[in-house]
Amino acid sequence: MVGVGSEAEVEEFVRAARADHAPFEIVAGGTRRGVGRPMSNSLGAELPVLDVSGLTGIVKYEPEELIVTAAPGTPLSEIRAALAARNQCLGFDPADWSAMLGSNGTATLGGAVSADAFGPGRLRHGAARDSLLGFRGVNGMGESFRAGSKVVKNVTGFDLPKLVCGAFGTLCVLTELTFRVYPKASHAITLCVGDVTPEDGLAVLRRIAHSALEPAGLFYLPGGTSLLGDIGQGAAIIRLEGAEAPLAQKVAMAHGLIGGPAHALGDGDRLFEAVRNGALFAGSDLDMWRIALPPAEAPRVIKTLNPSLWLGDLAGGSLWIGAAPAAAATIRAVATKADGHAMLLRASPQSRASLGIYAPQPPALAMMARNIKAAFDPMNLLNPGRL
Amino acid sequence: MKFPVSDTAILSRRDEIVARLREIVPDGVVSDQSGLATFDCDALSTYRQQPLVCVLPANREQVSAVLRYASAQGIPIVPRGSGTSLSGGALPREDGILLGLGRMKRILEIDYENGCVVAEPGVTNLAITKAVEAQGFYYAPDPSSQVACSIGGNVAENSGGLHCLKYGLTTNNILGVTFVLPDGEIVRLGGKSGSQGGLDLLGLVTGSEGLLGVVVEVVARILRKAPVTRTLLASFNTVTDAGACVAAIIADGVVPAAMEFMDRRCAEAIESYNAPGYPKAEAILLIDADGVEADVADAVARITAIVARIGGTAQEATDEKARARMWAGRKAAFAAMGKLAPDMMCMDGTIPRHALPEVLAEMDTLSTQYGLGFCNVFHAGDGNLHPLILFDVDKPGELERAEAFGADILRLCVKVGGVLTGEHGVGIEKRDLMTDMFAEPDLEQQHRIKCAIDPAGLFNPGKVFPTLSACIEQGHLHVHGAQMPRSDLPRF
Repeated sequence: MVGVGSEAEVEEFVRAARADHAPFEIVAGGTRRGVGRPMSNSLGAELPVLDVSGLTGIVKYEPEELIVTAAPGTPLSEIRAALAARNQCLGFDPADWSAMLGSNGTATLGGAVSADAFGPGRLRHGAARDSLLGFRGVNGMGESFRAGSKVVKNVTGFDLPKLVCGAFGTLCVLTELTFRVYPKASHAITLCVGDVTPEDGLAVLRRIAHSALEPAGLFYLPGGTSLLGDIGQGAAIIRLEGAEAPLAQKVAMAHGLIGGPAHALGDGDRLFEAVRNGALFAGSDLDMWRIALPPAEAPRVIKTLNPSLWLGDLAGGSLWIGAAPAAAATIRAVATKADGHAMLLRASPQSRASLGIYAPQPPALAMMARNIKAAFDPMNLLNPGRL
Repeated sequence: MKFPVSDTAILSRRDEIVARLREIVPDGVVSDQSGLATFDCDALSTYRQQPLVCVLPANREQVSAVLRYASAQGIPIVPRGSGTSLSGGALPREDGILLGLGRMKRILEIDYENGCVVAEPGVTNLAITKAVEAQGFYYAPDPSSQVACSIGGNVAENSGGLHCLKYGLTTNNILGVTFVLPDGEIVRLGGKSGSQGGLDLLGLVTGSEGLLGVVVEVVARILRKAPVTRTLLASFNTVTDAGACVAAIIADGVVPAAMEFMDRRCAEAIESYNAPGYPKAEAILLIDADGVEADVADAVARITAIVARIGGTAQEATDEKARARMWAGRKAAFAAMGKLAPDMMCMDGTIPRHALPEVLAEMDTLSTQYGLGFCNVFHAGDGNLHPLILFDVDKPGELERAEAFGADILRLCVKVGGVLTGEHGVGIEKRDLMTDMFAEPDLEQQHRIKCAIDPAGLFNPGKVFPTLSACIEQGHLHVHGAQMPRSDLPRF
């Protein structure tokens, strides 16, 4: 393992790796190493590790500009606290998957971006790709470059920041990230519509999603889990935010849209944190999937798959599913049929090796993706084969 | 501006190319000189170039067939939506096929359950909102040309508008596209789920300015229209106060739906043009808050308090008519400026907002240096600056001075940490300034992406990426005799 503390050191490392034709794995906190195909070199040996956890700290935070720039190794907890102190937050509500993936490492900003690890707050402000304005990185040729900008509105040149979100470190070694940030409301309330079927609960959530309430989180939790007390067959959970007086009006409007009984939960923050970080799945040994869907397809997908452990975030647009390894092919097929896709987040090394993270793409798209990878990393040195 | 050198071998094969395109799109080939003249520029009409031929396919299969043919024959392709680009993105090539998507203008599906509209690329931006507004929905990005500009063009340019700070640009408001690659392959990027799994190719092609392929279908996200919108007009004794007010509003956690800045010259010109009742002040902010009633009331109260604290004066539009009048002034800014001088250029840069006083002072210095007047409109919330340079093309040397002034303004934006373009795109207009913003390795990385998808360089060649031999640097929208190109469109 080689540690680096500056972009120049990253360049030096990559150039040496290039000269040696030696692919490597990029690691910061290491909490998400269990996601994706296990990597090895052409001889089947473990890859050397580039430890970027030394690239850490907030470089510049300008609350009035809604901009924060930080090194990728910055712990999520650190950046979350710094923004919260100014009543702001990151839009994609970055998730810490360490408990879910059985790691005792520290979840970082760069890891959350690279793994597209969003939380329920994505509903309001989008994924990492929607707020990553710019970055610096080192490509597979050992050249540092910058992309995007440090202002909130920019269309100059290709939008490379989009590409590094969810790329699992296969395009470049990130060395600096600039985000647009969002205000955090002074008050929040979590409503629980208990004992509803998935179909009815998700329908309530879609009604709220398509209202003018600008909800901050909408998920369905089936009954019988440890996250909430007795919710019967399941609960639709609604999070609303705002200043104190407006929030009361929003709650009243939400009750009108729900059309049935709903009560406020005392500890919504804790519940949302648990959902964000995948706590529901931490104690299970099932394989874990995250399925992106057109939200209205969620009830059908759940009925077809009938999973024993699941959760429907983003009003059904993002299903978390725990399943036995044998269900993999069915899950991918059902997701594709519903015009979505299934991302494998946790499985045995054997399953991960054969399934990858994302489903195989049609040939033309796969070729396009390969060519883009090669445009950053022609020798396939960075996290080779992980996707 | 240096145009790419035309390929004489292609020029000499014109008849054969026209004939082949007629086989692919029998009812959609324009090849006569008068027909082609209507396609010789987009809204950046300083630059004109008649295309070799224009083809107007009716469906994606025809698009694909045209691209396969062009790719096999090595013929450049310039895609065009409605031709409203302000950066010359759809400027034709003398030796290239102009591929117009205007005939593909059907809305294919409205899906309220999944909050989206599926549309062909030629559907106008506003038509999407019109299709869903009866149900209380709308499509958020609203470039000023929205009555005419196409959704396909919006994707290609990653178009913005007045409401970006709260609602994002095109890239944040589309869920998927169907895209034809240079070799004619038709691929789906994203979809109603909003993502595709794997690299975010949807994000890459959005805003790629026609350099990577052609959009043939768009899945646009629709939002519930806010039930309440209230408008405030705040006036200030100094530009610095207005800037401080914007920063304080943002720092207080308010995200206005729109927040527009006008300087004194601009406000005076507007006042004498259509008299919206703007007060005499060094700077004016026009602010919209939208949402549910109580949220808006809270925002208006906070904004009003901040304006007062800074020493400004705020007045609220008392009814819908007064609101429309306040906005009518701002939206007539370009037309009003047109009364001040025979010609003007509209620049488009973004700056960190804290740099506003410095940038305005520096622009004053440049104005004196070049001997040309200017005024400023500014999407203040997101720092997107639109300086308007006043000149007279009939006075010898003024056009050149205006161009140099404009380029200096964009360099100034970059110098203070901003960018060359916040919403108009690079196109041909700002191509040669790219090296002012990006270092060589930055541009090379972008160019390698271009090469990965369009290795023959046939898609919109001569746009976005500077050529080493380029000699004149410019960046402007040229307006002559108060007549905007596409003067039927509002520009704000």
